[in-house]
Amino acid sequence: MNMTYYRLELRRIRRDRVTLFFTAGLPAFFYVIFGAAPDYGDEPIRDGNVAMWVMIAMAAYGAVTATTGIGGMAAVERMQGWGRQLGLTPLPDHGFVRVKAATAMTIAAVPVVLVYAIGALTGARAPWHVWVISAAVLLVGATTFALYGLGFGLAFRSESAVSAAAGSLVILSFLGNIFVPLSGWQLAVAKFTPLYGYVGLARRSLTGGNTLDAETGELTPEPLWQLLASVGFWTLAFGLVTVALVKRGRSRQ
Amino acid sequence: MEHCIRLRGLTKVYGSGPSAKRAVDGIDLDVRPGEIVALLGPNGAGKTTTIDIILGFIAPTAGEVSVLGRTPRQAVADGRVSAVLQTGGLLRDLTVGETVDLIASTYPAPTPAHDVLRRAGLDGLAERKVQACSGGEQQRLRFALALLADPELLLLDEPTAAMDVEARRTFWAAMAAEADAGRTIVFATHYLQEAEDFARRTVLIAGGRIVADGLTDEIRRQSSGRTVRARVAAERVGPTTAMLDARADVRSVEVDVDVDGGGRLVVETADSDAVARLLLGELGGWDLEIEPASLEHAFVRLTSNLESAS
Repeated sequence: MNMTYYRLELRRIRRDRVTLFFTAGLPAFFYVIFGAAPDYGDEPIRDGNVAMWVMIAMAAYGAVTATTGIGGMAAVERMQGWGRQLGLTPLPDHGFVRVKAATAMTIAAVPVVLVYAIGALTGARAPWHVWVISAAVLLVGATTFALYGLGFGLAFRSESAVSAAAGSLVILSFLGNIFVPLSGWQLAVAKFTPLYGYVGLARRSLTGGNTLDAETGELTPEPLWQLLASVGFWTLAFGLVTVALVKRGRSRQ
Repeated sequence: MEHCIRLRGLTKVYGSGPSAKRAVDGIDLDVRPGEIVALLGPNGAGKTTTIDIILGFIAPTAGEVSVLGRTPRQAVADGRVSAVLQTGGLLRDLTVGETVDLIASTYPAPTPAHDVLRRAGLDGLAERKVQACSGGEQQRLRFALALLADPELLLLDEPTAAMDVEARRTFWAAMAAEADAGRTIVFATHYLQEAEDFARRTVLIAGGRIVADGLTDEIRRQSSGRTVRARVAAERVGPTTAMLDARADVRSVEVDVDVDGGGRLVVETADSDAVARLLLGELGGWDLEIEPASLEHAFVRLTSNLESAS
């Protein structure tokens, strides 16, 4: 991979304080408010507690915000002429993709590390393997949302569209059982939205293959294939839309 | 290496059916190493499309293109050809120095950054953010990026479009130094002056075709005529027209006849002074105007010459 390009990408993101705040600062703040501070935070979930459940959720929100933004900006940059500038160099397209993917993974790690660190200090509790597995799932799964951002960037071709894509994650997070634990029919609907499977897989090691119903506090078993099918379906959907948009862009030339 | 660029029957059609647009319509062109060639033409003539094909950004609908004996994409990947593009293409939140470092990192053995910054006249600007640079400075940065590959062939697409007069002068001075170093340079422009000042050879393009290809001085002579307009009395329209038509320096005479039978003559000539003297003197004309032939006029004339010759 081109390390110079990767390093400069990280430097660009470090300069963009506002985006960094929404990516890392906001999820950390949400965790403190909804996970660490309330009394219910220490209610047990198997060998862990509710604070841990909230911590994974907020880290998930931060991670997908990061990858969505980077995917979207990659598309907008390329269409605004940077693609032509790179087209004058020996850097192949897949070289560009590799740099952006590595950047997205790195930046996705920022909110995960920050929120987990605060969680560790403020009473999130779970066996060590839950910490490791959930963090790994968060990082890998977040790449799907780079495609989501890429699609927005390709479709609307502007920086504000990328901000809108990141903003839409707030809604998807409510729908996806991230910000507020859902119950009843809301939980049933949530299973069909894009973030549900992702965060469900990340929390699986904590809940032991169950979903938490917020009303009753009950854990009900949830088959693994449902979560995998959800992530698979949305990844495929984002991928197909992206490919279609790239083709549309080519035929317009 | 005999040819730097070799185009044969190059054609690019956008769209299909009745709305199809032939942006490039059968261009044959050979550029030899060390040449400096201006692609001169009005907006929409097909210059940018031709350059995009030479760089491999778009594929021609028909025809052949060979750059330094290989395909356009291969020539770019080998770092043998580079370009200064018309618009966009920079990341605004990077500094000038970072942009150079980034593009340099894509080449196996790039020219040192301080060297290209100096040659592009960007000394002392390395720390400046791209978004704080003027249009001219951004264009010189694109030029610096093009030099990183140490390319044999440099393509410039309307390189001075965003520049003021002073920036334009500085830019061409820097370019002249690169040309002296033996680089082949092909640039698109719609300023006749730029072609005159910088290129020995000019290729005139209009409507996707080459309408003239030769020494720039030659092209300029063909397009450097003036248009003289004057009114003459009704009874003198016939003899005046015949007399002007017979002159060697007159290319064409047209008459707009007024209601009263008087006429307004429109004379295209290489010697406007002599024609004006004649019209105001012995021909008894009045209301005289002289204007330089625009480049568009030159295109129209050259195009019609070409059609009548074929």
